[in-house]
Amino acid sequence: MPRLTRRQTLQGMAGAVAALALPRRTAALGQETAFPVDLVRFAWGTDVGAPTPFQVSPAGPGGPVLLTLIYDTLTWKDAEGIVPWLATEWTISDDGLVYTFRLVDGATWHDGQPLTAADVAFSFDYYAQHPYTWMSTEVVASTTVTDDGAIRIALKRPYAAFVEDIAGVVPIVPRHVWEPVADPIGYDGADRFVGSGPFALEEYDQTAGAYRLLANDRYWHGRPRVREWRQITVPAEARIQVVQQGEADISYGTDASVVDLLAGAPRLDVFETAPHSIVRLAVNTERPPLDRKEVRQAIAYALDRRQIAETITRGPAIVGSAGVVPPETPWHNPTLTQYDYDPDRARELLGGETFTLDLIADANVRDPDLMAPMLETVGITLNVQRVDGPTRIALLDEGDFQLALVTHIGVGGDPDYLRRWYAGEEANAFAKGSIFRNEEYARLGEEQAATLNPDARRAIVFRMQEILAEHLPTITLYHRRFYWVYDPAVVTPIETWGGLLNGVPFPNNKLALIDA
Amino acid sequence: MLPALVRLLLRYLLLAAGVVLLNFVIPRSLPGDPLSFGAGEGTDAAVPLSRAAKDQLRAYYRLDEPLNRQLGAYLGDLSRGDLGRSIARSAPVSDLIRDRLPWTLALLLVSLLIAAVVGTAAGVVAGWLPGAGRDRLLVAIASALAAIPEFLVAIGLLLTFAVGLGWFPLFGGQTVFAGYGGDPAGVARRALDVVWHLTLPAATLVLVGTSAFVLLARDATVGLRHAPWLVVARAKGLSERGVARRHALPNIALPLLTFFGLRLGTVLGGALVVERVFGVPGLGLLGYQAIRARDYPLLQALFLLSGLGVLATNLLLEIVYLRLETRRGLLRG
Repeated sequence: MPRLTRRQTLQGMAGAVAALALPRRTAALGQETAFPVDLVRFAWGTDVGAPTPFQVSPAGPGGPVLLTLIYDTLTWKDAEGIVPWLATEWTISDDGLVYTFRLVDGATWHDGQPLTAADVAFSFDYYAQHPYTWMSTEVVASTTVTDDGAIRIALKRPYAAFVEDIAGVVPIVPRHVWEPVADPIGYDGADRFVGSGPFALEEYDQTAGAYRLLANDRYWHGRPRVREWRQITVPAEARIQVVQQGEADISYGTDASVVDLLAGAPRLDVFETAPHSIVRLAVNTERPPLDRKEVRQAIAYALDRRQIAETITRGPAIVGSAGVVPPETPWHNPTLTQYDYDPDRARELLGGETFTLDLIADANVRDPDLMAPMLETVGITLNVQRVDGPTRIALLDEGDFQLALVTHIGVGGDPDYLRRWYAGEEANAFAKGSIFRNEEYARLGEEQAATLNPDARRAIVFRMQEILAEHLPTITLYHRRFYWVYDPAVVTPIETWGGLLNGVPFPNNKLALIDA
Repeated sequence: MLPALVRLLLRYLLLAAGVVLLNFVIPRSLPGDPLSFGAGEGTDAAVPLSRAAKDQLRAYYRLDEPLNRQLGAYLGDLSRGDLGRSIARSAPVSDLIRDRLPWTLALLLVSLLIAAVVGTAAGVVAGWLPGAGRDRLLVAIASALAAIPEFLVAIGLLLTFAVGLGWFPLFGGQTVFAGYGGDPAGVARRALDVVWHLTLPAATLVLVGTSAFVLLARDATVGLRHAPWLVVARAKGLSERGVARRHALPNIALPLLTFFGLRLGTVLGGALVVERVFGVPGLGLLGYQAIRARDYPLLQALFLLSGLGVLATNLLLEIVYLRLETRRGLLRG
C-alpha cells in the first residue's frame, strides 16, 4: 500500500496537497474462500459498553479501539505516520481553517448502502449535537459537501492536531441510521452497530462483556485476514494466564516480568510497546511550598526514579522525561535537563528547610512507599492519603491537594495535550490537577496548536517541554510500556506511530487485520 | 396478633421509605462525579471532552438539576418501575440487574445452603462431645477458615485448581459464545458449563461461610447436651445419632434459622470479592464497578435491591417470631 510518511503528512498539513491514491479494491460479496486466520480472541479488562460512538465507555481505551474495527475514520496511522483512509487525499486552506477531504470510491456500510461525503458531513454535524466522548470535535465550525462529492470541514481556528486527533479518531457514522435518532445514548435499534469497518458486530454479550465481530467480506479497503475477532473481559489477575492456557490469543500486562515468564514459552511472544504510559506527580503549584520552583526541583532530585521504576515495573527503567513526552515517541525532546538522582543537590535547593507534604494516591499503588523514605532523607515528610479513583479526581478538580500520583496513557501521540491539560480543556481525570501559571508556556501552547508547519511546530513543542522540565508543574517519575502477550500464529502486532488514535499503546492496528 | 402485625408492617414501610431516600443520598454524597472519566486501572487516557459537551451529558442525565428535582424525578421513575439508565454503561439499569441477578442468586444461594447444612452438621458433631479430639479439630478448622480473608481463599483456589492443575476455568460464569444449542442436550451442556465455572467461586464462599454455622451449631449443641429430655430420649433406647437428629437438632434450629435468615438477606448484595477474582458477572461485581464509576442510577438500584432484600428477610423472621410468641402466649393462657 502506498503510504504517506509522517514527513509527507506534515508537509501536507503545511498547506501542500497530499494527493495519494489508494489502490481501489473490488469488494467480493459473500464468503467465498477461507481466511488466513480463523479466530482471534483479545482479552481486555472491562466491559466497554455497546460499541456505538454514543454508548461506548470512555473510561479506558478498550472501547474506542474496539470501535476502530467496526467503524472507519477519515485518516489513519501506520507504523510510520498518518495515512489516508476514508479520505484518499486532503487539502488545507492557507489560513489553516478549511480542510477538504476527497473520499475513497466504493466504500460501503455494513448494510450495503454506499458511504458518501454526506455521511461524513452528517457525522460531524451530529457529533456537535451528541458528542463523541473520546474526542472533542468542538473545533469544527461547519461542514459542506462540495459539488464534486468532497467534504469540506471548516474549523473555528487553525488546529494542527486536526488530521491526527480528530480526522483520525472520530468514527464516521451512517446518516441513514442516525439521522432519525434524537437520543443516540438511549437508542437500542438493531441497526445501531452499522459501521463501515473491516468487522461487523455479530453478538454483544453485555453480561460477560464479550464481543463477537465477523469479517466484513465487502470491506472497501481489502479483505479481512481474520474471520472472527472477539473481545472478551478477563479479570486483571488472570489476563496473562488465559493467553498461556490458550483461552485467549492476546492480552497485556504493564509488568515487565511477563518477558521472563514467557521466555521459554514455545507458542507465545511478547510485544513491548513504546513507553506510552506515564507515572507522575501532579503538583499544585499554587500551594506553598510547592509554589517555589526550587522545592519542586528538589523533589525531583531527591527521588531515585530509576530505582522506583525498576521496583514497580520489574524491568529496565525508563526514567521519566522532565518534559512529560516519553522517549521513543514522535514528539519527545531528547535534549532536556533531566534530574538524575542527587539527594545532596536536593538538600542544597531546600537550604535546610523541612516540610510535610500531602500526597494523594490510589489505594493499590506502591510508589508512595518507595518515595517516602527517599524524601525523608532530604527533609520532606510525605503524608500519603489513599483514596479511590473518583475521589482523587474530585480532589484534583477542586485543587484540594499538594501532590497527587497519577498513572495514565495518552502522552505519545499528538502533543496538543500539553496545552489542553493546563488550559483545562480535558474532561479526563489526570488533567484536573494541572495547575501551572506560566505566560510563555500558555502562549506557546496556543501557538503550536495553530502552527501547521511541522518543523516550526516541533520547535515550539520542544520549547514547551523545556519549560516543563525547568518548572516541573508535574514531576514525571517513569514511563511504562505495555507488554502484549500474544500467539504469533494468529496475531501480528503493529507499533503505531504515536500510538493508536490519540496515543493508545494497543498493537491491534486494523492494518494488520486486512489484506491491504 | 393482628394489631402487632399491622404495626410491624407499618414499621417496615417506613424503613423501606428510609432506604429509598438513603439510596438517593448515599451515592451523591460520595466524593467524585459520574462524568469524570478515567478512573481505570492505569489505562486512563486523554479524554478531551469540551466543557460544552460535558455540560450536555450532564443535562442528559439530569445531573445539572437541583437535588430536590433529581429526587423528584427519581421517585417518579421509581413509582413507574423505571430504574433509569446507567451512566457508565449506557444501558437500562433494569436490564443490567436482570442479566446479573441469576448469577448472584445461583452462586450465593447454593453456597449458603451448602455452608448451612455442612456447617450445622459439623457443629452438632463437634458439640456433642465437647473437648474431644474431633471437637478440637473441627473448631480449629472453623476458626482458621473464619480468620482467612475471603480473597486469599479465592486466590488460593484459583492458583491451585485453575492456574496450577487446570481443572477449572480461569474466569467467567460460563464459556463465552459457546453456542450450546436450545435442545435438551444443549441445555444440559450449558448447565454443566455453568457448574464447572461456578465451582471454585462457590467453594470459596462455602469454605468461608461454613465456619460461622459450625461455631454457632456447636455452641448451641453444647448448651443442651445434658438437657433432661435428651436423657429421657436416650433412656428410651434411641441411638446417639437418633437423639441428635430427632431431639437436639430441632431445638437448636431457631438460632441457626435466624442466622441463616440474616445471611439470606445479604444475598442480593452479591459477593464482591469472589465475583471479582473469578470474573463472575454477578451483582457484587456490578456494584463494585458502579461505585468506581459513581454511576448514581445503577448504585441507587443496587442499594435498593439489597436494602429491600435485607428488609424482606428481617420482616419474614419477625413474622415467624410473632407467630411463635403468639402460640406461646396461647399455651400459657
